[in-house]
Amino acid sequence: MKQHNRLIKLVLAIALLASFGGASFGQQPLDRTKVPAPGKTPQLSVPTWTKTALPNGATLIVCESHNLPLVSFTITFVGGANQFEPADRRGLAAMTASMLSEGTTTRTGDQLSDALQLLGTNVGNGIGSEEGTMGFVSTTAKFPATLAILEDMMLNPSFPADALERLRARTLIGLTQAKDQPVIISGQVFAKVLYGSQHPYGQRATEASIKALTRDDVMAFHKAYYQPAHAIITVVGDVNPASVKRTITETFKPWIKAGNQPSFNYPLVPAQGTAAIYLVDKPGAAQSVFNIGLPGPPRNTPDYFALLVLNHILGGQFQSRLNYNIREVHGYSYGVNSSFAYGKGPGAFRAGGSVVSGKTDAALIEFMKELHGIVGERPVTDEELKTSKDALIQGLPRNFGSVSSTGGSITNLMVQGLPDDYYQRYAANVSAVTKDDLLRVAKRYLDLDHLAIVIVGDRSSVEAPLKATGVAPIKILDLEGNPAPVSAGGSTNNAPK
Amino acid sequence: MPSMNLSITRIGWLKRTAIGVAALLALGLAQQFLASGNGSVATAQRKTTSSADAIKIPFESYKLANGLNVILSIDRATPTVAVNLWYHVGSKNEVPGRTGFAHLFEHVMFTGSGHVPYGLHDKLTEGIGGNNNGSTTNDRTNYYEIVPSNYLESALWLESDRMGFLLDKLDLAKLNAQRDIVKNERRQSYDNQPYGRVSEIFSAAIYPKSHPYSWPVIGSMEDLSRASEDDVKDFFRLYYSPNNATLAVVGDIDIAQTKAWIAKYFNDLPQGQPVTRPSMAPVKLESAKRLVYEDRVQIPRLYIQWPTVGDKHEDIYPLSLMGSILTGSRTARLTKALVYDSQAATQVGAFQRGNEDVGEFQIVVIPRPGHSLTELEGAVDAILQKFMNEGPTAEEMQKATSGRELSFLRGLESNLGKANQLLDGAVFHGDPGFFRTDYLKTLSVTAADVKRVANNYLPRARVVLSVVPKGKKDQASKAAESQTVVEQRAEVRGGKS
Repeated sequence: MKQHNRLIKLVLAIALLASFGGASFGQQPLDRTKVPAPGKTPQLSVPTWTKTALPNGATLIVCESHNLPLVSFTITFVGGANQFEPADRRGLAAMTASMLSEGTTTRTGDQLSDALQLLGTNVGNGIGSEEGTMGFVSTTAKFPATLAILEDMMLNPSFPADALERLRARTLIGLTQAKDQPVIISGQVFAKVLYGSQHPYGQRATEASIKALTRDDVMAFHKAYYQPAHAIITVVGDVNPASVKRTITETFKPWIKAGNQPSFNYPLVPAQGTAAIYLVDKPGAAQSVFNIGLPGPPRNTPDYFALLVLNHILGGQFQSRLNYNIREVHGYSYGVNSSFAYGKGPGAFRAGGSVVSGKTDAALIEFMKELHGIVGERPVTDEELKTSKDALIQGLPRNFGSVSSTGGSITNLMVQGLPDDYYQRYAANVSAVTKDDLLRVAKRYLDLDHLAIVIVGDRSSVEAPLKATGVAPIKILDLEGNPAPVSAGGSTNNAPK
Repeated sequence: MPSMNLSITRIGWLKRTAIGVAALLALGLAQQFLASGNGSVATAQRKTTSSADAIKIPFESYKLANGLNVILSIDRATPTVAVNLWYHVGSKNEVPGRTGFAHLFEHVMFTGSGHVPYGLHDKLTEGIGGNNNGSTTNDRTNYYEIVPSNYLESALWLESDRMGFLLDKLDLAKLNAQRDIVKNERRQSYDNQPYGRVSEIFSAAIYPKSHPYSWPVIGSMEDLSRASEDDVKDFFRLYYSPNNATLAVVGDIDIAQTKAWIAKYFNDLPQGQPVTRPSMAPVKLESAKRLVYEDRVQIPRLYIQWPTVGDKHEDIYPLSLMGSILTGSRTARLTKALVYDSQAATQVGAFQRGNEDVGEFQIVVIPRPGHSLTELEGAVDAILQKFMNEGPTAEEMQKATSGRELSFLRGLESNLGKANQLLDGAVFHGDPGFFRTDYLKTLSVTAADVKRVANNYLPRARVVLSVVPKGKKDQASKAAESQTVVEQRAEVRGGKS
């Protein structure tokens, strides 16, 4: 009897085991608590490229990639609006770039657009603060024809006067629309607070500067800017280096040697005042937009890799200290982050994001807690350091994920004056960063006594709670970043609009 | 894809495209934007001769005994792999009173599961140089990991654990934290965004009350507050079973090894109940609607929307081309007439937006100062009438399709993008290779097809929405006939549950 019972139990047990998850009898059950170990680390391959000085002074970079019948072509001009634009003509560089699509001596704007559309592509033009680009991605078959149109746009623009007026009107509407966007306002006011109105980093196009632009300004800018001496031509994709060099030399024959490498001499950044909250009123706003920071180092700082790791830990990833605390633990925001705006000059360090209005004060306290933490109250741990380095090093292939991003990654080395083997040495440079380095650069670059805390939000509900935090005194600014008229009581509903 | 979906994502700030698409969508330019790819260098074929030859993504697919669909595709361009899991459930599966739940649930899926503590998911993705995210549309919810290829096994382990064991570690505190984050996502992407509420106003206006497409994916603040722990459990049991999911693994993989890992981690997850889906016929409006919404903006906008058909309907191909012909370039009908010739507008956009079951065709116009929305509506209608009479020219047809090959090829540069194409075909059309059918159908559209859909859909009853500055309802198109959209979902200032 007993034995029989035991047998039944055994049969039942086997049946149960088999029914659980359908694993067949005899197979080892899966232990799901065990994190699967990674396989052998794949070889990180960095693309190779050729670099040639063309007779006209431009640099030609060619990187072959034959995975797909695609070609990315870009001309990058070193130096941008800050180097080539008069201070009272902010917006001129961007306007000139836009005007290149408006017609050439042999094609109208409509004809350019139609020709490019039939080639299935489009030529993009833009000039930023420190560099400008003209370029496209095309199929291999359409590359020469698209290149010929780009050449025409760059060298033979006709600058129709009516097009300038249309683009001027569009730009002015864009400036008006920007005033509706708390995120844009916050960024603009932040730049003005940090750099003042005399430094190019604090300047931007205004209604007045856009209205002042003339066709002569555009023509003069074009002549000074679109010159080969400061140009880098980058071709990535399904091309042969020798034949693409011939095609480019032939196509750009009329582009003769001229221009100079720009200098990047910026005026001194004004001394930063003691830490303050700069509050910009956006009545009824559902969220407060934060930008907290101060001027930082240029891209060529020897502290670059330490700062890269530091920022990654502080606010450069989803599980960064800032986002973990303010989003994941407290739910004050959909996401916050931090960054260094590296350039040729002292680009800003900033931390920020959009925070629910009712938690503006609480979020500020948490931002400050994390900033104080990273400069010494809560030093980076071994675990944080290791994870950050792993992430940065193994994330390198992302720079080469498409023909256009590969082109950008290579060109950036030339623009920033970095060595050609930068990506080969990248892992070693990141690996070399120590916890001591992180503490040193945090203390050096995150000067919390001189932080600008710019908040764009509903003043009537956030001012008093912000004041109560005692983090810093509050100064009220208008949408342009100028001191707003002081209102009685400071935090009442009759705050100036 | 000929049409596009609005999706919202777990992580906003890491995903620039999420914000970019939303902003461009408001301008009706999203299709052009979506056409450009980014991501990682890709696949197979060395040289291509004709357009159709290039339209290839090699893949194989199979089904596990528990109903999980699997798609595998090799691409060794970079040593990375994308794991992408689609559940065939979206906001249309919600019930009135619980809107926004599918997306809130998506957030809960990142809070840890039976054998995966909170934070490990991010550590095994962004912590090793990869990334992860999820997104929710009306029709489906997806989750993906992009990792170095030696971490594929752990990525599959992560996905299988939350498919099988999410509820083991669920608690109310986790749900509440995600609820706060989602509310901030709503504030950031809709409430604090100029023109940010347009899409939900249209959903409510086009679809009958309680129709599954009548509410926004993000949901309402009240409904988000209501979601309970039991709701999470019920939703998970109903929709998060292997038989309602499709898994794609694309990148640097070994097929046999990948199949073995998928079997190891997914085979023992039990099959769930069959999922019943509401079948929905496209809607027609009984009569035209004319709405005005006051927003915190300075420049008014005119939106016109017609109910059309969903992505399974043949008419989406000519409808999508009609969008390109009307506003796809500077010589497109509406753009040329309104932005370049009369210059009454600064920007116009037109596009077909499709979901699994339903779709809409939308036109948006941003006026120049001095031109009323009433004037612009009349101008748009005159151009549409002429277009309905004439149909498109041969050149217009050619221009509208000439960019398709390049956009498809650029899409192949990203493992994630390829995975999404294969999944879209598998989930909505029952064929991972549907991308090719889709492409060929787009190219085979005739001018007569476009003329037919123009005459079929554009004369139907439509919704005209004027978004105007606060207190400026008189700026609406035909203001006297317009009905005011009230702020139904405004939250109490400073409130946070």
